[in-house]
Amino acid sequence: MKDISQYIELFRTERALLDSHSQALLNAHRDEAAEAFMRLGFPSRKVERYRYTDVAEAFAPNYGLKLDTPPAAMNLPEVAATRYGTLANVQNDAITALNTMLVQDVIVIYVPADQRREHPVQLTNTLRSSVPLMQNRRLLIIAEAGAEVQVLQTDKAEGGQDFLTTQVTEIFVGEGAHVEFYDMEDSHSRCHRFHQVYAQVAAGGHLTHTTFTLASGLSRNQADVRLVGQGADALLLGCAITDGQQHVDNNTLIEHIAPGCTSRELYKYVVDQQSSGAFAGRVLVRQEAEKTDSIERNANLVCTEQARMWTQPMLEIYADDVKCSHGSTVGQLNNDALFYMRQRGISEAEARMLLKQAFASEVLAAIPLEALRQRLHVLVEKRFRNCEDCKLCQKNNR
Amino acid sequence: MLEIKNLHATVSGKEILKGIDLTIRPGEIHALMGQNGAGKSTLSNVLVGHPAYTVTEGSVTFNGKDLLALSPDERSHEGLFLSFQQPVEIPGVSMANFMRAALNAKRKYLGQEPLDASSFLKLMREKRKVVELDSKLANRSVNEGFSGGEKKRNEIYQMAILEPTMCILDETDSGLDVDALRIVAEGFNKLRTPETSAIVITHYQRLLDYIKPNFVHVLLGGRIVKSGGPELALEIEQRGFDWIKEEIES
Ligand SMILES: Nc1ncnc2c1ncn2[C@@H]1O[C@H](COP(=O)(O)OP(=O)(O)OP(=O)(O)O)[C@@H](O)[C@H]1O
Ligand SMILES: [Mg+2]
Repeated sequence: MKDISQYIELFRTERALLDSHSQALLNAHRDEAAEAFMRLGFPSRKVERYRYTDVAEAFAPNYGLKLDTPPAAMNLPEVAATRYGTLANVQNDAITALNTMLVQDVIVIYVPADQRREHPVQLTNTLRSSVPLMQNRRLLIIAEAGAEVQVLQTDKAEGGQDFLTTQVTEIFVGEGAHVEFYDMEDSHSRCHRFHQVYAQVAAGGHLTHTTFTLASGLSRNQADVRLVGQGADALLLGCAITDGQQHVDNNTLIEHIAPGCTSRELYKYVVDQQSSGAFAGRVLVRQEAEKTDSIERNANLVCTEQARMWTQPMLEIYADDVKCSHGSTVGQLNNDALFYMRQRGISEAEARMLLKQAFASEVLAAIPLEALRQRLHVLVEKRFRNCEDCKLCQKNNR
Repeated sequence: MLEIKNLHATVSGKEILKGIDLTIRPGEIHALMGQNGAGKSTLSNVLVGHPAYTVTEGSVTFNGKDLLALSPDERSHEGLFLSFQQPVEIPGVSMANFMRAALNAKRKYLGQEPLDASSFLKLMREKRKVVELDSKLANRSVNEGFSGGEKKRNEIYQMAILEPTMCILDETDSGLDVDALRIVAEGFNKLRTPETSAIVITHYQRLLDYIKPNFVHVLLGGRIVKSGGPELALEIEQRGFDWIKEEIES
């Protein structure tokens, strides 16, 4: 287990410093997590959910931890202790175990019953370092019965340093509660990120979970959503724009456990240059989950010969009376449309950009948070323009 | 303004155009007729630079420039416009974004500033009236879900915005009902300046009743085998093409 030894070593030598700079709640879970991590090791490609991403390679460089900043609050609300780590799968997921072992801070967003946050909570993570840096962070969102909250997380990075981020997010959507969680990554090609989201939705609750990867080096996003109460509802949206050597892997599991639940899932990828994308979405309908209504779709635009896309929608049904569909498509830019535009005077680069933008716009249009929707239209266009303007891209487009 | 000399072109390795000669001066309307598969659309596509077609011989000059050396978008900026026989649907790209990109690319080519948002919208509105295009259509994605006739009307709408000097209308009349045909053809005539030339490809005289050609050409087997005045179209309408074939054979 050479792969994990540097992290076990890191944990052993830094343990005291970690503990003194973190909350007791986080410290209490470390040993169990370390044990699980040692048992699991980094998942090889033989592990079903990790078959599209080489995890060990991402963790191979020698990352340092920044351990001298104490968390903003040493005292966590009571409710955090009763929920922390109860959804996250430490025993079976190596990344979750590693994160729990090394975690330095947790952000807790707690909305008491029937309360409504008028404005979205925005979390901005900006990575900045002069040496290769690893950070392990945690987010806990709890919306009690009837509560409403929107959370927007943005990941950015400054400077061309190597970064590795692990994040575990646990989301509790209470009865009739409404949670929207927007995760947006706009970093750079030397950023590696592993984000594990674990969510549970109670009866009549709603969860929107969106993952936008505008720019990154390697991103692996995993979302496990459990619909545990009658009439629970989940909307999962994702959009990945990749180029260069980028790799984006989204892996989702929606578990229909209670009857009468609804899930909608749409992930779209625009994969350019030598980059690669992967989407694996499993919808699991348990025996009790009668009247399940689920639609899952993954559509991908592969822009060059070198670009790669893997797609694997999976539907597993144990109930009798359900309405489920799933599908995926992989296509190229429409040449007839490209020529039509060029006849009207639009340059090839611009025409390609318009078609890519049009492709992505379907996911953007589905975003419930209006201000973000508009902002993303701008960011997506900007992203495509940079890509088209760079020399490499122009060469590839010929 | 457009001079085609001994033009040969292939598609998928098959020679379709076998020596086309055609000269069009400013302000002239040339009707191009011929049976299905004669190569009329091929000629249009070759002129606008469709990548599927390869020119193997001959030359085309447009306003003194070597047209074949220009990219499709440059040809457009130079004033060449094709109203497609089968316009393409582009889901997700709005008519406004499409036309703004096209118009501003042309203005940039001509060294002009991009049009500001309000002038652009005003222009869209004005031109829409010329072809009586429903505002609902103008707000949709390019051609998405348009009926056959609506697509043709939309072609002329785009022409109105881009103000080309050399228009190729490839069966713009097909799919249009009688009223729509009149509106679209009259729209075209309103948009014409004394300098505007056109190649009008059609199977029927009814379009030529509105857009009166100076010359009528018959394309057969990849060559222009007969040319004449407007009366030739009338004759074809009555007698078909067989007599022309017989004429060539004898
Ligand atoms: N992209 C293509 N690939 C293969 N064959 C083609 C292609 N385009 C045209 N052809 C062939 O070239 C010939 C001429 O076609 P073209 O479309 O130019 O005819 P047309 O005169 O416009 O006919 P119509 O009156 O039916 O529109 C036909 O035999 C057609 O099948
Ligand atoms: Mg044709």
